Amino acid sequence: MRRLTFLQQIKWYVITSLIMVIFCFPIYWASVNSVKPPLEIFAGSWFPFLQFKPTIHNWMVELGTEEVRKALFNSTLISTVSTIIVLSIGSLAAYGLFRFKFVGVKRQDIVVWFLSLRVMPPVVFIVPFFIMMKTFGLLDTPCALILINVTFTLPFAVIILWETFREIPVAVVEAAYIDGASEWQIFHKIAVPLSSSAMIAVGIICLAFVWNEFLFALTLTYKEAIVMPVLIGGTEHTRGIEFWFVATRTLLAMTVPIVIALSVQRYLVRGLTLGAVKG
Amino acid sequence: MREGKARYLFLMPSVCWILVFTIFPLVYAARLSFFSFQLGRGMSFIGGWNYVDVFNYSRFWNSIITTFFIAAVSVSVETGLGLLLALHFGREMPGNKIFRSLLSMPLFATPVAVGFLGLTIFYERYGPANLFMSLFGLQVPWLSNTFWAKMSVIILDTWIWTPFCFLVFLAGVHSIPEEMYEVAYLDTQSRLKIFRFITLPLLSPLIGIIVILRLIEALKIFGLPYSLTTGGPGTATEVYPILVYRMALKHFDFGYASALGFVFLAIVMTIVITFFKRLRRIYE
Amino acid sequence: MTSTRQQTMIGVLVFSFIVGVISAPSVAREFTPAEKELIVKSGVTPEREAYLKTKPYKGITLTITVNRAGKEGATSGPLYMFGELWGEQTGGKVEVIEIPFSEHFQKVWIDLFTNTGKYDCFLAGADWLGDLVANDYVVPIEDYMKDPLFPQWDPATIPPSLKQVWTWEGKWYITPNDCDGMVLYYRKDILQDPKYQKKFWDKYGYELPVPPATWEELRDIAELFNGWDWNEDGSVDYGITMHLKVGGLGVYHFEAMSVPYVISSANPDMWWFDPKTMKPLVNSPGHVEALKMLIELSKQGPEAAISWRLDEAWDCFLRGDAIFCFTWGDLGSLAQDELKSKVKGKLGCAPLPGTLRSYDPRSGEWVEFTKPNIVGNVTSIGCWSAPVSRLSKHPEATYDFLAFMATREANLWNALYGWTGNDIGRTFTFIKPYGSTDVSEYTKRGWNAEDAKEYSGAYYKNFYNLLQGPPLRIPGSVSYNSTLDLYVSQAVVGEVSPKEALDKVYDEWERITKKLGRAKQIELYKASLK
Repeated sequence: MRRLTFLQQIKWYVITSLIMVIFCFPIYWASVNSVKPPLEIFAGSWFPFLQFKPTIHNWMVELGTEEVRKALFNSTLISTVSTIIVLSIGSLAAYGLFRFKFVGVKRQDIVVWFLSLRVMPPVVFIVPFFIMMKTFGLLDTPCALILINVTFTLPFAVIILWETFREIPVAVVEAAYIDGASEWQIFHKIAVPLSSSAMIAVGIICLAFVWNEFLFALTLTYKEAIVMPVLIGGTEHTRGIEFWFVATRTLLAMTVPIVIALSVQRYLVRGLTLGAVKG
Repeated sequence: MREGKARYLFLMPSVCWILVFTIFPLVYAARLSFFSFQLGRGMSFIGGWNYVDVFNYSRFWNSIITTFFIAAVSVSVETGLGLLLALHFGREMPGNKIFRSLLSMPLFATPVAVGFLGLTIFYERYGPANLFMSLFGLQVPWLSNTFWAKMSVIILDTWIWTPFCFLVFLAGVHSIPEEMYEVAYLDTQSRLKIFRFITLPLLSPLIGIIVILRLIEALKIFGLPYSLTTGGPGTATEVYPILVYRMALKHFDFGYASALGFVFLAIVMTIVITFFKRLRRIYE
Repeated sequence: MTSTRQQTMIGVLVFSFIVGVISAPSVAREFTPAEKELIVKSGVTPEREAYLKTKPYKGITLTITVNRAGKEGATSGPLYMFGELWGEQTGGKVEVIEIPFSEHFQKVWIDLFTNTGKYDCFLAGADWLGDLVANDYVVPIEDYMKDPLFPQWDPATIPPSLKQVWTWEGKWYITPNDCDGMVLYYRKDILQDPKYQKKFWDKYGYELPVPPATWEELRDIAELFNGWDWNEDGSVDYGITMHLKVGGLGVYHFEAMSVPYVISSANPDMWWFDPKTMKPLVNSPGHVEALKMLIELSKQGPEAAISWRLDEAWDCFLRGDAIFCFTWGDLGSLAQDELKSKVKGKLGCAPLPGTLRSYDPRSGEWVEFTKPNIVGNVTSIGCWSAPVSRLSKHPEATYDFLAFMATREANLWNALYGWTGNDIGRTFTFIKPYGSTDVSEYTKRGWNAEDAKEYSGAYYKNFYNLLQGPPLRIPGSVSYNSTLDLYVSQAVVGEVSPKEALDKVYDEWERITKKLGRAKQIELYKASLK
């Protein structure tokens, strides 16, 4: 890229600051709300210390509540396990789609079928899933949520990873094959490493999807397997919403995935090269 | 491209998993849609009447229009903004990484929580939104007006999902080789022209995929409008998933809800397939 | 990111958890020893005393579901406290499962119709009872009530209007807990101020009624006080505040206020349907008139109220920014909390205003009155009380626990403390001369004496009014209510006219009735009116 003039650099930073202010405002607002005493929530005050006395009481109650800790733990468990499963069998499926012709069924149609799974409003499946989980005795266990979340996130992973694999130069694969490598070896020695960045990116997005899944978590759990979104929904009481707890829980709920994401941040940008852009 | 037994082994785990967990629910739901299911009273077979009822119901049409309106506007804004942000942050400036990470945070916010947060932000008496608006001498009825309620939902949805578009487009921008730009700068200094003739065409397949993926998700929007406006005021933000949810879990008419679900599936799949075919044609 | 950064992040997380564990303040409230003694002895017969010594429910755990509000929250908090106390007495254990209030009904339903039976009882709202009883999911408790082994509570302490909620065709199914109805709250101090009374006289030509006896009068007063700063706090104030949000219980405003427009001495029970045909009455001229008044009233308050839930609406009143609010008993008790309320000691309470003319659907004519036609109300939502699930494996233990909370001392404790979310309604909770309690019971729990007397008087008059707006107690009541909610909101926001809105409700209700089976609905509706 050309070097920017000093003026242009300043302009860039100004625009950036504006963008940052707008985008980070809700998070700032959540932080402010989380330290407001309940009386102040609707008073329209913006700045702690200047306009109201902030309090850590909300945070202390949150972190001390066993339910919050359980929910955080469950959410983390369910999201990470689901993501790992999705990445493993999803990449296998994507590779299969990429490498092989299928008789009788066009590859296109399989992709469309995968997409269709994401189209249906999940609500339609509530009763059948409830019955299924009840029959297997899996109600109120993280296992049930893992099973369902994998089912619905898999299509997404397969499609994106398929596109990624298409990016791999065919010559490399063919060369390996001629050298006598089996499909499995090609898969885990060539395809996966070459698209590791994409896999991590997909993993993060899957993590976000599963983390925020609300409807099934609500219906299929009682107490043991409670997760963060349900807990956040639970701040809505008959008498009103406990906005200060919404704020603390939102911030808490955002922390874990962000920590994970930040740790692999360096791959995030590089890795989201989808096959659609020839480079 | 190869043939052989191995191909099935790769696909097997995913396909089996999905089949196991979707065949039963799908068949069950499909069967239910031909019954009138009333809690405590059991089911009675009514053939295709649920489907006829779907198209007869004024709330169905209202919901379709609302859903597509909100989805269309959200997706357009998100894609546009995402693209602009990707171009802006595509430059190698110091501190870029931090900005990019910060910008990807909204992705992890639970929609239900963002809805509740929105209640305090859009609080019309003292909330920040109206405080900001008062700088221009305006007071906007964010949540108590049918049009503005839709806008509030769109604004919050954009906040959550623009980072998704942004991150993907950023990767796309980065994968355009420097040489292309070097050559272009020899010809013209106009940033706009470069964007129009180099960046945009190279990114368009990516834009297509993102639009389709986002559209599918946006049409399923549920938590955000439910917690922000509960589908109101009136039915102004009663998006399709809320309608289906109400039919299934408030009125307990699972048969009708399943019918609603399948009608929706048909409509959206038609759009997706058409789009996909066009996309493939452009791509190839 | 380098590993040191990762380590720092993890370190921060771990640290905050540790801080949380160590410093967590104790979250539960506790009974005082004096209260404990009273509650434990209340309703105990000699047979029960002996029974308790055997620790009869040792090893039994019963599950109760409740609207989520935490250990210190309304409705759920008391369950933890009573559960522990009951456990000490009987050897049993109570497990409280909290469910977000908007999902509570459906989770209970799914449990029942899939025969899962995980819940022994559920703290149900009044409008669920139709579905529950009619579909035979709950156990009648008459036999338990007669048995001296269980805690005794006296059905005679319950006003007939509330008894209707907990019985079906005269038989008891549900132990009383919370009593809900709407009354009018107003700023007595402002309305009794002579300078405003003069202003009102100048503008409207009649004396400012404190409290207003008809909705028209209330509208006039609200109009006078709307849109200017009469409490000198620097911000615009309002005539009336309401919670009109869809799903935010706005529909109950309409239900409570429209009752006198249709119910009167000429027509004491037909508000919802015509019992002969099950055709909805909801678009009758009386209802339309009422909806028009509701829209008028909403204009005398902040426009934003269309999207307000309970806390926003109540907050407006508690800050002192509104003259009127008609809502449930919680507002009165919240007003006593000095941390949240600026109106302690300034409260006036009265039964909801009435009308001078009422529509009689039987004759199709308007009936005129010389004195305002005032009708009581027990709203379809609230009255959180628990029936025993038919799928419960320990019905006796379950009933025992529920009756434990329904005894005189337990209920008095519950109703008089504002935070519990349970409100007054039984004879021993009203202040003399209306009931048997002394005002000191209120003041020692933090109430202002004048406020308490106003509050108690208003609720007594509301619940003991012979004319009552009937709550809907047939299957589908949740559906009927939530549909009405949607269209009332549409009318209030101006999307459709009141008549159109109510016509649409008519159509939707007909759909629901058809789906549920008209003949069965007629049968059940007639039974519910008895």
